[in-house]
Amino acid sequence: MKLSRRSFLGTSAALSAASIAGSFAGGAWAASDTIAIASLHDLSGPLDIYGVPSNLCMKVAVEEINGAGGLLGKKVELKVYDGQSDINKYPQYAQKAALNDRVVMVQGALSGAAREATRPVLRKYKIPFVYGSFYEGGLCEKNTFCVNTGGNQQVVPLLEWSFKNLGKKLYYIASDYNAPRNFGIWNHVMAKREGGQVLADDYYPLDVTDFTAAIAKIQAAKPDVVHSCLVGGPAMSFYRQWAAAGMLKRIPIISIVFAAGNEHEVLAPEETDGLIVAYNYFQELDTPKNKEFLAKVEAVAGKNHPYINGEVFGGYSGVMLWAEAVKRAGSFEREAVLAALESGIRWEGPAGVMTTDGPTHNTTQDVHIIKVENRVWSLIEKKEQIPPDTYGGKCNVFTNPNQTDFLMPQI
Amino acid sequence: MDSFVMLCFAVVNSIALLALISLGLAVIFGMMRVINFAHGEFIMLGGYATVIANHAGVNLWLSMLVVAPMVVALIGAVAERLIVRRLYGHLVTTMLATWGLSLFLIGAVTAIFGNTTMGVSAPLGNIPIGAYSIGAYQLLLIGITALLVVGSLLALHWTKYGLIARAAMQNSEMSATLGINCDRVYAVTFIVGAAISGLAGALLAPISGVLPHMGAAYVARAFVTVISGGGALIAGLLSAATILGPVEAMLSYFATPVVGQASLLLLAVIILRLFPTGVSSLWTGGR
Repeated sequence: MKLSRRSFLGTSAALSAASIAGSFAGGAWAASDTIAIASLHDLSGPLDIYGVPSNLCMKVAVEEINGAGGLLGKKVELKVYDGQSDINKYPQYAQKAALNDRVVMVQGALSGAAREATRPVLRKYKIPFVYGSFYEGGLCEKNTFCVNTGGNQQVVPLLEWSFKNLGKKLYYIASDYNAPRNFGIWNHVMAKREGGQVLADDYYPLDVTDFTAAIAKIQAAKPDVVHSCLVGGPAMSFYRQWAAAGMLKRIPIISIVFAAGNEHEVLAPEETDGLIVAYNYFQELDTPKNKEFLAKVEAVAGKNHPYINGEVFGGYSGVMLWAEAVKRAGSFEREAVLAALESGIRWEGPAGVMTTDGPTHNTTQDVHIIKVENRVWSLIEKKEQIPPDTYGGKCNVFTNPNQTDFLMPQI
Repeated sequence: MDSFVMLCFAVVNSIALLALISLGLAVIFGMMRVINFAHGEFIMLGGYATVIANHAGVNLWLSMLVVAPMVVALIGAVAERLIVRRLYGHLVTTMLATWGLSLFLIGAVTAIFGNTTMGVSAPLGNIPIGAYSIGAYQLLLIGITALLVVGSLLALHWTKYGLIARAAMQNSEMSATLGINCDRVYAVTFIVGAAISGLAGALLAPISGVLPHMGAAYVARAFVTVISGGGALIAGLLSAATILGPVEAMLSYFATPVVGQASLLLLAVIILRLFPTGVSSLWTGGR
């Protein structure tokens, strides 16, 4: 057959028009017996220590939902994307998930940078975004639901506890980027509230490996407690050098990020014993619900699955909370699901009761103050049902439905 | 008094670390004029060799002082044979080639060992200084670095091989006419440089984590030190470290580490403005 240029262009235009029309046929899932959600995590690259187990947690949640008969009569299908620890991949995959896979929910984008790259894309395509990472707090957006702890929910209970039990003089050492600086503000808020004192705010670039001067400085300041918000590989040097200088047994360290990358399994027990952190979830949690959960994790990933910490637990709680909202809404439609989430979804899981909070789009939950000994975490104190911060009432999607910016804590 | 001792310790430690991470580069770049962008990765490989040998049951000191330099020397030998040998004398090309090598090494290590941080904990406990305490291992590290620097100085200036190596680097044609096998001298020098870098990585492993892209934290500082040092290899390196180290440590202590790091670079710019061929041109007459 001889194909003229004109007729070729004509047919291909018609074909592509048809395929575009097809991809925009809203609610195409109405006829299908599966429903897709997307997992958007770093499954390779430097951040895969967070991404791989978070993705695993989403998988466990999806299997649990399907095992119980699915949602609204449909099986949930998990579309998995690997962000490759590369920010550029996030908007691309978010777009692909929205347009190509027509998912009804996207969860992931754990790092602050990945989240900020993903958020606008999903807002544009009107796909609800569930953010599963613990973070600095202050994200109040109509299209996004934060299911892990926000800044105040970790810092406030941890500092309340440590000002009471360890002493009033706090020394803050942290990596130098947005989130640790934001947490740093919380230190001052808490010091003011509890009559404590922040001796120093020491921010270190992410590539510093020699902490000799830092450790000398801390010793000279003689704090009662060191609050560390150091992250990444080089930060491990700090814990090493701190222990090598014999400081581990002298000045206690508290942290809200330590062990999010399972540092307690990489460092030796003599370098970490006694460190105190605050998370909504930790694997050793001794409750029947948690035993059930861990059995499910084992069923999916085997006995040698990665340690499930508070950071990656959001992968599980996010999907489960979303599923509860779908059940209440009786629909997968964005508006209906968001309205259900805003109405306060209560879900009792391995980490206790979690309730979504309408105005802030964050979650009320229990926080556990825990201590590591020989690579095993044990509970010191449980702080029950801590609500998200409202940032002086400014965090309210009902009164500010167009709000998309970040809010900062005020002293 | 105690705090003064602590500050002195931080300063000496900072000098020693700069010298330690730069020595291998000084040999490869300072002597051979090969811009070795894979220097940080040689350090990283030394760290990995130590951790893996130690986890496999080899004594820690043996892993650090013997296994790591040997492993990295071997890798250096292969790299020299396959890549660097063809590019001697082409400054920019060696830079590109070793940059490629560095990316390859990071990728290979990531693929084999994954991206999680590995490590061994520091031996020897700690030493109290009044109300303070410091890691004994860090003191030893300063000692070993001093030994290494003095050893390199002696090897270059008082051994026959040192003389041959310096001659071959300075004027290879003349040396060749005198019957020196320059290719071999170059190869051996590169391997020695790699081994020293590997040893540096091994010695650093107990005080910092070991992970595939850790080299990036060292390579820039090493280049700054070696270039500020200039032509006289060991003396230049040592004087550059002695100028840069204290400034970085003091500013990190009294101001912030960001200021400390920035001052390191700023000071290097000032040094190179005053002595375009490095500090050592002061006494070598600026060759």
